[in-house]
Amino acid sequence: MKELNFDKLQTVYRGQDDFRLREMDVGIKLKVVCLDSMCDDAKVASFVLQPLAYIRDAKTIDDIQTKLSVGNGVRKPPNFFAIIEDFTNGYTLLFDEEDNCISVDTRTVIGRSIAEPPTSMVMRGPREGFVEDMKVNLTLLRKRLKTPNLKTVNLTVGKYTNTAVAVCYIEGIAQQRIVDDVVQRLQSVNVDGVLDSSYLARYLDVSKTVLFRRIGTTEKPDIAVGKMLEGRLAIIVDGSPMVLTLPYLFVEDMQSPGDYYENSTMTTLSRVLRFISVIASVLLPALYVCMQVYNYQIIPLRFLITILNASESIPFSSLTEMIIVLIIFDILREANLRMPSAVGISLSLVGAIVLGDAAVQAGLLGAPAVMIGALSGIGLYTLPDNTLILSLLRLVVTLLAGLMGLLGVIISTLVLIIYLASMQDYKTPFLAPFTPDIPADRQDAIAQIPVPKMKKRPRSIPNANDERRG
Amino acid sequence: MDKNRVKLDQLALLYLLLITGGKFLSLPSLLAGDVGHDSWLAMIFSFLWDGICLCFLLWAIKLNSKANMDISAILDKSVSKVVSKILLAIFFVIFMLRTMILMSSCFEMFSITFDVSTNWIVYVIPIAILSFFAIQKGFNAIARTSQLLFGLILLAVIALLASPFKEVQFTQLLPIGEAGWGKILATSYLRSFWFSDYMFIYFVLDGVKIKKRVFTPMLVCFGIGVVITVLLNAVFVALFGSYAPDFDMAMSKIGAFSAASSSNGRWDWLTLSVWLLSVFIKIIVFIFCAYKCIEKILDKSFANVNWIVALFIVATLMIPMFVSTEQLLSTVILWGVIPFTLVQYLLPLLMPLFTKVALNKTEVKHE
Repeated sequence: MKELNFDKLQTVYRGQDDFRLREMDVGIKLKVVCLDSMCDDAKVASFVLQPLAYIRDAKTIDDIQTKLSVGNGVRKPPNFFAIIEDFTNGYTLLFDEEDNCISVDTRTVIGRSIAEPPTSMVMRGPREGFVEDMKVNLTLLRKRLKTPNLKTVNLTVGKYTNTAVAVCYIEGIAQQRIVDDVVQRLQSVNVDGVLDSSYLARYLDVSKTVLFRRIGTTEKPDIAVGKMLEGRLAIIVDGSPMVLTLPYLFVEDMQSPGDYYENSTMTTLSRVLRFISVIASVLLPALYVCMQVYNYQIIPLRFLITILNASESIPFSSLTEMIIVLIIFDILREANLRMPSAVGISLSLVGAIVLGDAAVQAGLLGAPAVMIGALSGIGLYTLPDNTLILSLLRLVVTLLAGLMGLLGVIISTLVLIIYLASMQDYKTPFLAPFTPDIPADRQDAIAQIPVPKMKKRPRSIPNANDERRG
Repeated sequence: MDKNRVKLDQLALLYLLLITGGKFLSLPSLLAGDVGHDSWLAMIFSFLWDGICLCFLLWAIKLNSKANMDISAILDKSVSKVVSKILLAIFFVIFMLRTMILMSSCFEMFSITFDVSTNWIVYVIPIAILSFFAIQKGFNAIARTSQLLFGLILLAVIALLASPFKEVQFTQLLPIGEAGWGKILATSYLRSFWFSDYMFIYFVLDGVKIKKRVFTPMLVCFGIGVVITVLLNAVFVALFGSYAPDFDMAMSKIGAFSAASSSNGRWDWLTLSVWLLSVFIKIIVFIFCAYKCIEKILDKSFANVNWIVALFIVATLMIPMFVSTEQLLSTVILWGVIPFTLVQYLLPLLMPLFTKVALNKTEVKHE
């Protein structure tokens, strides 16, 4: 004999303290079950128990579904899998004697309120940030995109966590082929649990990149909408304030949330500065070592004398000295991330001043090396999402520069560029619009033209309609 | 995505980088040694021949644009498999020899100019790793890299050319043709019969994406490359006069003119390093072509870099440990004139014909 869904549910949740069962007679016998920890008591009372108390003449469960429609989200789960999913999400289930089931949305709302995200603070522009609740995040998107063309594909991922995932896109702008591809990839994810959107980012990274991020993240709904208006997809994961966006370009790292709310000339200047500082951060320590060890002639004589005076008593070679400085900087950065915020600032100051100054005073490290290391370290933060990987790269380039001189710098630069140039996910070259060169997209790459003049969507991102107007 | 597929404008920029990438090392001093201050004329003549061959090759690309046959398929169908393999073997020798000459010139530049003293093995292995990494990533990545670096490299070359410009005595180039036109022509032939840079195009014939114009972007880039190279050669001879043959590594010597004062520092070395990126791109492209030659000779297409082929190429690159560059060059001139001329100057002229024959045979086969 086929086992009833209700019996199966009871078997699954046997022994659970928060499993609540109540039997009621509303004309037919009903079993009302819910998970206490996931349900809002007030909602259970007002949307389920109170209305049921007044029903005396129900003949089928459909009658109850009609009468409970004052409640929020009453539906019929089609199979046992859907029953379990609704139950674990905080729905209250009603079973009749024939094992028919309806579920009523009585989910509890626990979570922080909408606030400015700490990772993307802006001087100008909206200050709302995504939160952990998917429904709130969807509302934040819909608030900005009041169009029926905003579509979402809802999925559940994770064997045990059953995490809700929504793939959001604008129909008519995003390319359907990419939407289908992403949905298919998410459907094929086979994992125990999804605790944050970053779990899924790894599954969506088509070329399984070792270095660099291939999927964008944002905590700001205005940025997510901006990206969707360019043809990208936004993926909201329940429990994570980080919304994924894809396809993703390297140039997005150079762009800041505030760029679109500032004067375009100032934005261009800021982006040029970011670009220079990233290149300098990776190459400056290497070039310094290279010039110290092999090609000191490059440095103007007076400057060279200053450097030599500052570093003549250092017991380490230039390469070792620079590697030590870079590693100390990375240790300070890593420790600062994990320190309680109350002591973080003071301890990082102590680290920077005491360690740096004491090392120079003691003659262990040269002041120029400390200065170059600090300059390079600060510069890395212009690309906050790739700081760690750039930090690793500058160590490798510095090491090669120390071993092979300019040859090492040239080879490592070429390897890095070839690697970046070869990356292409979702038909989007990572280094576009620089290579392949897409002249139309230069309007918002490093330089930015004023928003009224941006008439076309970027061609680097596959889209169904490249006209921004009409 | 086919990792070896490139757009025509990327190919054109890569070609421009290849022209400027290797001709500023030893070639200007070698030409100056043969024909003195008329070396720039020898350079012009060699480019004239290159230009004609390039046009024929582009015609072949246009004919092949729909069929996308590779060099091996075209030769197999038009001149038989045996001849095809022999031609590919000659190509392999040319690319390996050119890589060796380029690498030994760079080796010299690093040890003399940049004070990086090392041995040949330690020098070759990182470059080989770089090249095979690029081959693994595909020709598309190489072309994109050159597109990205093109502006920077061109700026570096212009900076190196422009800075000593006020010192240049162009009267040093007079009288024109003093060495004798016959000698100039002979030199241009003997010094460049295996030095043309368009030869890599043979090995990307099947991967060029063509939209409308085939000739314009390639010929524009070729023109810019010719102007820069001839100008640099003229500046080099005009600066150093009769001492030019003694100064190999033309680029670094020209740079020295602009930053001779120690109080300013040798900033030109940084621009020289930027220009060296194009030399390394050239080395990568040549090793890519040599690798493709072996693939086609063996009738294989490896999904990943085949380590046996890679080891064979690396082993071949060790030859300069035992033979000097001068010996290599004289051997090439002695033994390579006929076969190398065949693939460099005759084959491009015949390529449109071969492509048509191959296309006809393919159509007949389909019918």
